[in-house]
Formats: sequence, C-alpha cells, structure tokens
Amino acid sequence: MSEMPANTSKGHIEVKNFSLDYETIEGSVQAVTDTQIHVKPGEFVSIVGPSGCGKSTLLNAVAGFLKPTTGTVTVDGERVNGPSAERGMVFQQYSLFPWKTVRENVEFGLKMRGMPRSQRERAARTLLGLAGLEAFEKHYPERLSGGMKQRVGIVRALATGPKVLLLDEPFGALDAQTRVIMQQILTNMWQRLKISVLFVTHDIDEAIFLSDRVYCMTARPGSIKAEIPIPLERPRQQSMMMSSEFLALRRGLMSLIREESLKAMGGEINDMGMQGLNIELHGHSLADVI
Amino acid sequence: MSNPAILRHSEDSMPAIAEAGSVRAVTPPATPPSFGTLALRWYRLNQSRLRATAIGLISLLAFLLVWHLLTTYRVVFFVRFTNVPSPLAVYASFTKAMHDPKFLMHILLSCRRIFIGFSLAAIIGVPLGLIMGRFKLVHEVIFPVAEVLRPIPAIAWVPMAIMLWPTNEQSIVFITFLGSFFPILVNTLHGMSLVDPVLVRAAQCLGARERSIFREVYFPASLPHIFTGLTVGMGVAWVSLIAAEMISGQYGIGYFTWEAYSLVQYADIALGMIAIGVLGLGSSLLIRGAGQLVMPWRST
Repeated sequence: MSEMPANTSKGHIEVKNFSLDYETIEGSVQAVTDTQIHVKPGEFVSIVGPSGCGKSTLLNAVAGFLKPTTGTVTVDGERVNGPSAERGMVFQQYSLFPWKTVRENVEFGLKMRGMPRSQRERAARTLLGLAGLEAFEKHYPERLSGGMKQRVGIVRALATGPKVLLLDEPFGALDAQTRVIMQQILTNMWQRLKISVLFVTHDIDEAIFLSDRVYCMTARPGSIKAEIPIPLERPRQQSMMMSSEFLALRRGLMSLIREESLKAMGGEINDMGMQGLNIELHGHSLADVI
Repeated sequence: MSNPAILRHSEDSMPAIAEAGSVRAVTPPATPPSFGTLALRWYRLNQSRLRATAIGLISLLAFLLVWHLLTTYRVVFFVRFTNVPSPLAVYASFTKAMHDPKFLMHILLSCRRIFIGFSLAAIIGVPLGLIMGRFKLVHEVIFPVAEVLRPIPAIAWVPMAIMLWPTNEQSIVFITFLGSFFPILVNTLHGMSLVDPVLVRAAQCLGARERSIFREVYFPASLPHIFTGLTVGMGVAWVSLIAAEMISGQYGIGYFTWEAYSLVQYADIALGMIAIGVLGLGSSLLIRGAGQLVMPWRST
C-alpha cells in the first residue's frame, strides 16, 4: 500500500456562498445558487437531486473545471483554481484513454508526475491487483465490460494518491447487478484509503448505501435543500437495504426529491397552461370573427 | 479470442476478489486442442472472409475472360474494342517490360516523386493540422487561405508550378505534394475537432499539462482521422502525379502511358494503366499497414 499514501488528516472540501451562472443569448442563467457544502477529511458525502439541478456543475467546480461566479471552493484551505491531480475524478462515461492499455491508463497520473517507468509499472500492478484486474493489464479498454472499465477509472483516479475523490454518476451507465458490486468495491477502497469522497448520483438507494452524509439539492437553480446524515453502521451490507432505518431514510429523501422534481416539472406544466391560454384566446378571437 | 466468457466469469467473482485483495486465476483449458480441431475452428471463424476471397478471385477471372472475348472478337457496340489490346498481348508486353530497364526506371521515378511529394505533405500537413486544431489564432489565420486554395485541383496548378519551380522534376513533385496536402490537413483538423473533451478533462485531473495533453490525448485521439487523411491523400497524390507526368513529364509511369499512345503501342497503354493501379493499391496498403502498427488498439 506504500504507493497510496492514506490521507487521514487531509482532504477537507469546503464550498462557501457558491453560485454559478452561465451565459446564453438570452442573458445569464443561474445553474447553482447560494450553496454551502463541506466534506470532512475521510468522509463519504453524496449529492442527490432532480436531473438538471446543477449537482454535476457543483462537482465540476470542485474539480476545477468551472469557476464559481460568486463564492469559493477550497480544499484544505487552498483555493481551487483549475484541475489538479490532488482531486481525482471518475466520470460516468469512464473516459479511459482508448489508445492506452489498462495498465498504461492507471500509470498515466504517475507518468505525469515524472515517476520512472519501472516504478510506476509496479505501482499500477499493485493497484490493479487490488481491483481484481491484474489479468487484464495488457487489454485495451474497448475490450472490457462496463463494470471493469469503471474499476479501471476508479483505480486510475486513485493511483496518484489524491486528497479527494470526485465521482460524477460513476455507475449510471451500468446494469443493476454490476452497480451493486461496484458500490461494494468503492466502499472497500474508500475504507482502506480513508480518502474524502464527493459522490454525485440521482440514485437515492446508492447515495444512502454509500454515504456518511447526503446533500439533497433543489430544482434549478440548484441549492441545498437538505442535509441528511446517514447513521447506518459500517461496514454496510447489502441486507441493510431492507432495514427499517434504511427504508425510513429512503422515504424521507424520496419525498424531498419528488417535491423538487414536481417543482421542476411544474414550471413546464405552467408553461403549457400558458400555451393553452393562448390557444383559447385565439379561439375566442376566431369565435368573434364568426 | 474467447474473451467475453472470461470477462463475465471474472465479473461474477469480483466481490470475493476485492475483499481478498487477490486475483483468482482464470484457468486455461486442461489439454491443448488438436491440430484438426484448431483448423476447423479457424475455418469457421474465417468462413466469411474465405468466401469473399474466393468470390473476389472468380470475379477477377471473369473480368479477364470478358476482356479477352471482347478484344479477340473486336466487338463494336457503341464502344470500339478494335484497337484495344487483349490480356495476352498486355501480358506479353509486361514480360518484355520486366527486362527493360527503361520501364523500371519509369516506375522508380514515379515512386520517388510520390514518396517525396507525399512525405512532404504529411510532414507539413499533420503538424499544421494538429496546431491549427489546438490554437485558435493559427486556425483563424490559416484556415481561410486553405479553404480558398483547397478546391483548386492539383492539375490546375501545372502551369503555375512550371513557372514557380526551376526544374520540371520539382514542379511535378510540387503537384504531387499539393494533391495530398489538403486531404491530410483537412482530415487532421477534423480529427482534432472530434477529440472527446472528457478525455482532456480526465488527463487534466491526473495532472497533465498542455504539452502532455497534446502528446498523450490530442495526438493519439486524432490518429484514426490522420490515417484517413493519409489514405485519401495518397490516392489524390497518384491522380495528380499521373496527370502532371502526362502533361509535362519526360519520365514516369504516366509519361510512359501517354507515350505508348503516341507511339501506337497499344498494349503498353494497358500495361501502364495496370501498373498505375497496382502502385496505387500497393501504396495505400502500405499506409493501412502503418496505421495498424501505430494504432494497435484499433485492431482486433
């Protein structure tokens, strides 16, 4: 494990007074507004919310791909300005380099850091072994199943020993069974490494099963609607998902999100109502003509 | 490869693996299969390819047969086959040409022109396309000029090339260069524009800086399109070369073909044409082979 320094005392993410607008031809649109979140060192925190609520936007700002319009994003007190290997990221689309073998993908971060070839080969092998991927080190990603690709994605992000791991709906493209297995693997790795995790998902079960804390976001413009601690004991088992405690949490989160989804849909329904009104007016004028 | 089965097997045994922190080896079959079963399997796997090859051979033979019949009976039906050489006559002039150093010199000269013109086009076109794809200003400056020059067929450059370059040889190489340059440039640019931005972000998250991203992401991601450009460019290079040689050459396979017509050596016309076809096919096969060497991840 010497290749992966455990960051027990590091990885404190803090997002304060955060808002993010983007410009369109009709003017600026608020994606996220007035948001405060934090992840304590070694904590596993999820963000859930209705689709389009800006949870990925928030994550991308923590990664350093987007600049906040107002507010700050800091990791261990240092302001985030631009992507860095300190914040590992796992993408929904796997985003493995198709021209690199599994091992070369995992080695990439170490190569960028200037680690000599033999050393990084050894490190990559160790990591791949942990994820059960040793036998596939020479394969190109195209030949792997979705679950294996994402395991490589996670291992690649962890290889450089980042302070925090950011995951953007990492299991969204996987089938239900693989998803469950991947959740288990992620939990195992997280517990070994004691790394801070910020996990974006729209799957409530996934969020509860994995997290210490869950933030629930409002419909667009997104902000934090609720913060729910998950007191389920660790290590978590699949069987816990049937427990009354889990189900209560699930019901609570469900209703929060449903409310927001309806709000988001409500906007559209109102718009349609307006259209209906137009048509009626039109009909009315027609009736006048007649 | 029996891969899918292996993948699934390992997926199932994952939780155990992750917890134990070790890999369960995928056991190979106990006894190696006999030669007979291997041959049978190879046949089954390649059945469709074998079929295609067989049908291809038959169709080529049929083409030769039709050609032979049309010329021996000197068919005149809208098209006149009266003076068209028969396949046997062409074969005879081929065997003669094989012992004629002049014919080989024509071929070698044409190949040299292609080699120089095409290599220059690749050496300039690929890096230029990569840089234009990465740096907006370079794109904004060069693209309009390229777009204006691109539609001009290389053959239309012949008079200008003769004025520009002191020797005939140089102007022919220049024409060849022009023919292949634009397909290479345009395809490289296209490849750059299609690079998945998520891959760039992934590289940035792993600590890659501008230069590494260029080398490790943009370049390999564009390679398939670069090779499309090289293949198309090679085709256009031959088209341009032959035209230039017919117009202004003194040597080369294009000149050979045209000269055969002037000297009423009809069999040599067909020989020249076939030689051009074979050379074109050979050079595009070379590029395809190079592509497979450079992009091992694309072949299975």
